[in-house]
Amino acid sequence: MTGILTLTAVTVALWAAACSGQPDPLAAGALTMDPRLIRGAAAAPVTIVEFSDYQ
Amino acid sequence: MLGQILAEFPGKVRLVFKDFPLEFHAGARPAAEAARCAAQSGRYWEYHDLLFLAQPEFSREDLIRYAARLGLNREAFTACLDSGRFRKDVNTDLAEGGALGVRGTPTFFINGRRLVGAHPIETFREAVQDALEDGGRK
Repeated sequence: MTGILTLTAVTVALWAAACSGQPDPLAAGALTMDPRLIRGAAAAPVTIVEFSDYQ
Repeated sequence: MLGQILAEFPGKVRLVFKDFPLEFHAGARPAAEAARCAAQSGRYWEYHDLLFLAQPEFSREDLIRYAARLGLNREAFTACLDSGRFRKDVNTDLAEGGALGVRGTPTFFINGRRLVGAHPIETFREAVQDALEDGGRK
């Protein structure tokens, strides 16, 4: 049962990414996270990932 | 500016900063590494904000001066900066951004939705509102 639920969740996540036309970097686990470089509540429903330089 | 978004949506938004120093911005990489040195003293965001105000003045002496202005230990900060201790971490961010198709800065992902370039704060308000209405999928 747990396996089926997990498979369903993964399928839904992949389907959502495919529909949006771009991977969700957080959902895909594609990012390392340094807690010192994070602001805001850990449980916040919205995450903004900013790739930037200082110049 | 994103600090204002955090303040406007308390508890609803989390900001994850990733370094993406562009090669043709000569001072961007040392600035990124310096900010991580400041993080060692728990002053990352203050230093980060200072760098944006001070750009593009990012010589080694400038970076050390900014640290001193925040009251960081000059010797420890200088040793960190000169050691290149955080070069690998910056490279990791660059590689992760590259894998996601990031080509320029700033590039944002708001619950996965890509937003490229500088935008007015209204754009971020709307994007956050949309993400919340979409169920706040993380």
